Amino acid sequence: MKFITLSFLIFFSISFFSQNLIITGKVVDENKETMPGVNIKVEGKEGGATTDLDGRYSITVDNQLNTLIFSFIGYKSQAVTVNDKIKIDIQLKPSSENLDEVVVVGYGTSRIKELTGATVQVKGESIERLNIPRMDQALQGQVSGVTISTNSGSPGGTSNIRIRGLSTSGNNNPLILVDGVVYDAQGLNALNPGDIESINVLKDATAGIYGVRAANGVIIIETKKGKKGSKPKFEVGSYYGMQSTTKKLNLLNAGEYALIKNEMFIRGGGQPIFNNTDLKVGSNWQDSIFQDAPVQSFNIGVNGGGKNSSYSIGGNYFSQDGIVGGKKSNFERYNARVNLVNSLSKKLTLTSVFLYTHEQRSVLAENGIGSVLYNTINAFPTRNIHSPDGNYEYLDEVSDIINPVAQIENTYNRSLTNKLVGKQEFEVKILDNLSFTNRLSYNYAIVDGKTFNPLAWYGSGKYANSALNANLEPVMVFNGFQYNQNSDTYDSILVERGASVSEQRATYLDLNYESFLNYNLNINDHNIKSTLGASVFRRKGDVLNGTGFNIPNNSIDYADISASQSPGQFNQNNTGSYEFEERLLSAFLRGEYSYKFKYIFSGVIRRDGSSKFGPNSRYGYFPSFSGAWIVSEESFLNFKPITFLKLRTSYGISGNDQIANFAYRALLNGEGVYVFDDIITAGVAIGTAANPDLKWETTKQLNIGVDLQLFNSFDITANYFIKNTNDLLFSPNVSALIGSYGPGGYPPIVNAGNVSNKGFEFEFGYATNPNNPIGVNVNLNFTYLKNEVTSVPDGIDFIPGASFGVGGNTATRFEVGFPIGYFFGYQTNGIYQDQSQIDNSNINQDGAQVGDLIFVDQDGDGKINFNDNSDKTNLGSPLPKFMFGTVLGFNLYGFDISANLYAAVGQKIIRNYERQQPYANQLNYVLDRWTVDNPSNEVPAYTTASNRNGVFSDFFVENGSFLRVRNIQIGYILPKDFCKKFKTNYVRFYIAANNLFTFTKYMGYDPDIGGGALSGGVDNGFYPQARTIMGGVNIKF
Amino acid sequence: MKKIFFVFIAFTFSLVIITSCKKFLELDPPYTQDAENYFQNEQEYFRALTGAYDLLQGMFVSYWIGDIASDNTIAGGESVTDTEGLHQIDNMTHGAVNNELRSLMRWNYCGISRCNFILEPKENEVNFASKATVLAEAKFLRAFYYFELVKVFGDMPLIINKRIGNDEVLSSRRNPASEVYDQIEKDLNEAIVVLSYKSESSHSGIKGRVDKGAAQALLGKVHLYQNEWSNADFVFRDLINNGNYSLASDYTTMFSKSNENNSETVFDVEYSDGEGGGYNCLICLEGNLTPGYQGIRAYEGAVYGDGNSYNLPTQDLFSSFEYQDPRRDVTCLNLDNFISSNSAGSTYSIGGGGHTGFYNNKYIKSKAEMSGLGDNDLTSGVNYRVIRYADVLLMAAETNNRLGYDTLALEYLNTVRSRVGLPLKTLESNEKLYEDILKERRSELSCEGHRFFDLVRTGKAADVIPGFVVGKHELFPIPQDEIDLAGGNWSQNPGY
Repeated sequence: MKFITLSFLIFFSISFFSQNLIITGKVVDENKETMPGVNIKVEGKEGGATTDLDGRYSITVDNQLNTLIFSFIGYKSQAVTVNDKIKIDIQLKPSSENLDEVVVVGYGTSRIKELTGATVQVKGESIERLNIPRMDQALQGQVSGVTISTNSGSPGGTSNIRIRGLSTSGNNNPLILVDGVVYDAQGLNALNPGDIESINVLKDATAGIYGVRAANGVIIIETKKGKKGSKPKFEVGSYYGMQSTTKKLNLLNAGEYALIKNEMFIRGGGQPIFNNTDLKVGSNWQDSIFQDAPVQSFNIGVNGGGKNSSYSIGGNYFSQDGIVGGKKSNFERYNARVNLVNSLSKKLTLTSVFLYTHEQRSVLAENGIGSVLYNTINAFPTRNIHSPDGNYEYLDEVSDIINPVAQIENTYNRSLTNKLVGKQEFEVKILDNLSFTNRLSYNYAIVDGKTFNPLAWYGSGKYANSALNANLEPVMVFNGFQYNQNSDTYDSILVERGASVSEQRATYLDLNYESFLNYNLNINDHNIKSTLGASVFRRKGDVLNGTGFNIPNNSIDYADISASQSPGQFNQNNTGSYEFEERLLSAFLRGEYSYKFKYIFSGVIRRDGSSKFGPNSRYGYFPSFSGAWIVSEESFLNFKPITFLKLRTSYGISGNDQIANFAYRALLNGEGVYVFDDIITAGVAIGTAANPDLKWETTKQLNIGVDLQLFNSFDITANYFIKNTNDLLFSPNVSALIGSYGPGGYPPIVNAGNVSNKGFEFEFGYATNPNNPIGVNVNLNFTYLKNEVTSVPDGIDFIPGASFGVGGNTATRFEVGFPIGYFFGYQTNGIYQDQSQIDNSNINQDGAQVGDLIFVDQDGDGKINFNDNSDKTNLGSPLPKFMFGTVLGFNLYGFDISANLYAAVGQKIIRNYERQQPYANQLNYVLDRWTVDNPSNEVPAYTTASNRNGVFSDFFVENGSFLRVRNIQIGYILPKDFCKKFKTNYVRFYIAANNLFTFTKYMGYDPDIGGGALSGGVDNGFYPQARTIMGGVNIKF
Repeated sequence: MKKIFFVFIAFTFSLVIITSCKKFLELDPPYTQDAENYFQNEQEYFRALTGAYDLLQGMFVSYWIGDIASDNTIAGGESVTDTEGLHQIDNMTHGAVNNELRSLMRWNYCGISRCNFILEPKENEVNFASKATVLAEAKFLRAFYYFELVKVFGDMPLIINKRIGNDEVLSSRRNPASEVYDQIEKDLNEAIVVLSYKSESSHSGIKGRVDKGAAQALLGKVHLYQNEWSNADFVFRDLINNGNYSLASDYTTMFSKSNENNSETVFDVEYSDGEGGGYNCLICLEGNLTPGYQGIRAYEGAVYGDGNSYNLPTQDLFSSFEYQDPRRDVTCLNLDNFISSNSAGSTYSIGGGGHTGFYNNKYIKSKAEMSGLGDNDLTSGVNYRVIRYADVLLMAAETNNRLGYDTLALEYLNTVRSRVGLPLKTLESNEKLYEDILKERRSELSCEGHRFFDLVRTGKAADVIPGFVVGKHELFPIPQDEIDLAGGNWSQNPGY
């Protein structure tokens, strides 16, 4: 792309006399390294020269008054008048102002200066530096308007990326492109942060060039590329760290537990369950679950290029064990990357990208009833991990709590992913200003999963038992009848059902052919840029799974279906499979006009057709418009401190197509299974009901922004946006009459309901010249977001989300006038202190006892109604109101210190990891419970008797605001001369800590909780992010 | 320039071709049949019928309500919030927010919609020999599902022979119970004409497929619930005279897996232990969850398995049996007595949801039948006996008594009594016989899901159920969510 040179084309033409002179010289960078590929032009003349591999050049001028202009991307251009010099050596300095930097937008690039949209670029370096294995987690707090929340802190766990808020009750994932190839948001684990050159986030309507996939924003990731005509540059980086939990919960110890439980049983009219409550500390289940776990990474890369080609090759090994479960919840990844750019001829360039990933992940049961941490929190401190007979303690009294140590030991759940992502791209330069690009890209992934379920016994009545008894005898299952001649009867045949292994292979292939023309025209002050193209996309998936029983010796060593010793009749050894396919057909046009690069207008239109939508709405048009005014180019703005000022706005329509395939059709994919002749007989049933009008969700977004630069070094960006999403795709509860609520049945998916997101974003950046021995850099960003559901389908009051407790009522909702997934339950107002307070209250709270929570009568009918929703109210939202991120860095004669902070304020979390059951352990806040001697107004009395304290109320809702020091590090760069002795250019050692401090009032493990759109902020025993202390080294040579 | 021109043309051409190629987007789901191109042959009809049968397996909700709402059992379980809806029903404090009632409504309407899918008019009707039977069974099932709804909720919207969308839901109304009953009777009468008795060779002989006897028994029961005694008598008489059913000799093995499909079986819901399952989708189970749910909490000992202590018989039920009635111990397991005499040293725990000392011995997890795949609390293969011939005889006895044919009524009553060796009743008065028949129903059929509905239809509920309000608790409230989802136009049942 040649736009970059445009800005340097300032036409002067002064010639005094003619005299050919040959000027030679050498160009070096800020580190006095030679710079190949630097452009040298004679001001006002055609042609020019570039520096060679050694940074040397030679150029002919005809006049001593000529000025030479040295330019290179990312560096400040320098102009030098020849005068009487014949040798001109130049040192170029990086442009501290990054206005000339190139940002990748859809099907093209743009200079930051000329952007009309709200687009942000994050350099790969600031991602890599954090040593966070997932690029999206590393992005947290770095870009305003982008909310990253964690779905699981376990190694390989996923995050949610939300650009400008939640806009749907369905899938809010943005479109992610890696070198132009569609990459699945959940599969981001596969990407090595060390391979990333830049991350470009398209937040507003200018993302509309991606049409029906752009509504949730677009993230364009570019991997590292080489430079033509440069020597090989090697980069090696490695770190090793130790992880530990940031927190352990304050649970009751044995003595406290016995005290509380006795009291509960006595209050409930029973007998105390402990004769002696002097049980001291007892066992700490958390100590037996959490462990220190290593994390390590080794990264190597080489970049360079010859005359007609450039290359960048990289490799990475990463491994991380879990702070819960160690190797049983680990993640390991191997990456290989090759980027090649070849100029096949003067007009033809071939770009090839290959990204290969091999990853392995093991997981434990997480974040729910039955998960390891849920079991740990609720296990009784009065019992040891092992009972006196040497077996694992059974924790008999609660049927759905099992021994978490035994659970980890019996868990074998591993997945393997092999993924190849790449493209072949031909660019034909038809004319200097007309290029034609054709590319075929692919994303091929094979995901293998294997789960081994050994025969296990957790105590009688436990849901997790797979064996018949503690001797691990297999369960006998019915397997047909056998005729018995002696008695003339049919006797049941019973067969053993031993340990089982389930295996799954899923194969996914995306193929995408894209073809587009880029045409630029510059006539005097008028500049036109245009793009016209088409895209054909196909995604196919194929999943096959099977289960084999009776694995020999109950051992992981034989955990493969091939080892199954099951007789293999109909009720064992199951297999299954399914396939899917989706297609997208698109055409797009973008035109941009600017006058003197002062006034810029841009328009985009895209037409998308998708196989996902009903025949009545298969194609959609998605237009967007944007404009910018670079005020600082105006002569009237002659105010020195303002070095750049741009006002911009955009408005456009985009879509979200992320719904299930064929959701518009009434498929016979329900479950219609019955038993005839004692044989399970598969029939058919309608699954999802039909809707031929089904289409995409439509987002209309307005953005108003300003970019300001002061004193050439302070960069300020602010945006205000209104983003309204209509035609939400969701399957609301429908009436029972439709008949959707049978096995495998789902209500039809309809387009109904609106969501509004409004927000304000602010970014500030300042950096001193990185070559100064003493320097500072600061980046601040701030986001305010207001999310509101503005309409839901007719006849529906709300969509229910997550449930509270075990089999409890719905606690989160999607409802008009509230944020998506807000919490809905009873509001409390203290504790009933004595009987007279209950008797004299003008509100009748059924069954209230002294020490119970007082609920607020929302509808004012004089009683608390527990049978309907009339007394429930808004208890807060899981979405933060404000987010704040900052990066601070200092460097001082080779030493550097930096810190990344992230804060999210205003969100609430539901404490849903407490099993409300008389024997389950509890957090030690219950020590402050109401008693006659301790008239608490916060924590109710505990009893085994029937009461309403366990209904979902604000008692279980906590403030989830937090400030987290995400990364803090100290590094030292060895002096240049010292490096030279070892033939290296750059050596940096550092020590760093991730998640060193978290400031929060939240009682649970980790306040940074993600979750689905309607189930956000519900903590079911969340696997927390680890605190990591690490040391590492980066070397370049 | 020529080359450039060529590229341009080729590009524009391909663009037009690609983006206008509609066929490219007309994709059929791989290997998946569609609702609109179904019903091409006998096999497909039968598979759809299987899907319609599937919802019978959700009957455990009304089964539980039948005893828990009555004086027979308490809800039990781990705590009072464990399946809270049943506890509310137990205490007669239930309101319009009740997950169990909602499931009952959803599942039965799902069953109805699956029957309607089979019965709705087709563009190209295919014909085959057994088609009439398939349609008759679908009508039986639709009648059964509507009867479940009408006996629990009263007036309910009737949807017949069509699939409906949300627009039709919003314009729906609650048809009077009498109209629902008329439809049920119509479906059953049409089914009876086509179906044959299990004992006849014309029946397929497949265990689990309903026969004429099931349809007649259900029709008689439907008449009974409306006090249509003559109509009931007509049906029961035909069934008793021609159905070739008889009482099984041994009451104690009546509810075992091995004794399924005996001479007394009129209509069972079929279950299998051959498929695993979880709590997240109870209607997806192929196993019977009631034996596990009703199993002894944290029990370790002989004979029985461990379970969730649901649906526990009361002392009142236990004491209601006559002297030496063997049905008492088949119905109520006196746990401490059992342990001390049969299984010394066994242990169990007491659930927070209540404890009576008795367990429901008809459907209870036993070691002998604990073979279901995991979670075996949910996957018992034991069938639920919906209508037994003893029930038919007692309904016929009641019918005849109400019509004044007391001799025949007494004969039916004594047939049931003599099977368990109880002394025969003699005729004292019509009313005394009526009371004897109703008492016999309790002794014979307790813990089988009938009691509450019997008490309601005989007007005796308020006498024995604490908190029962006449004029309110005969029906359960329509789930508030369902009223809202239907546009808020339905009236709630009185008193709620």
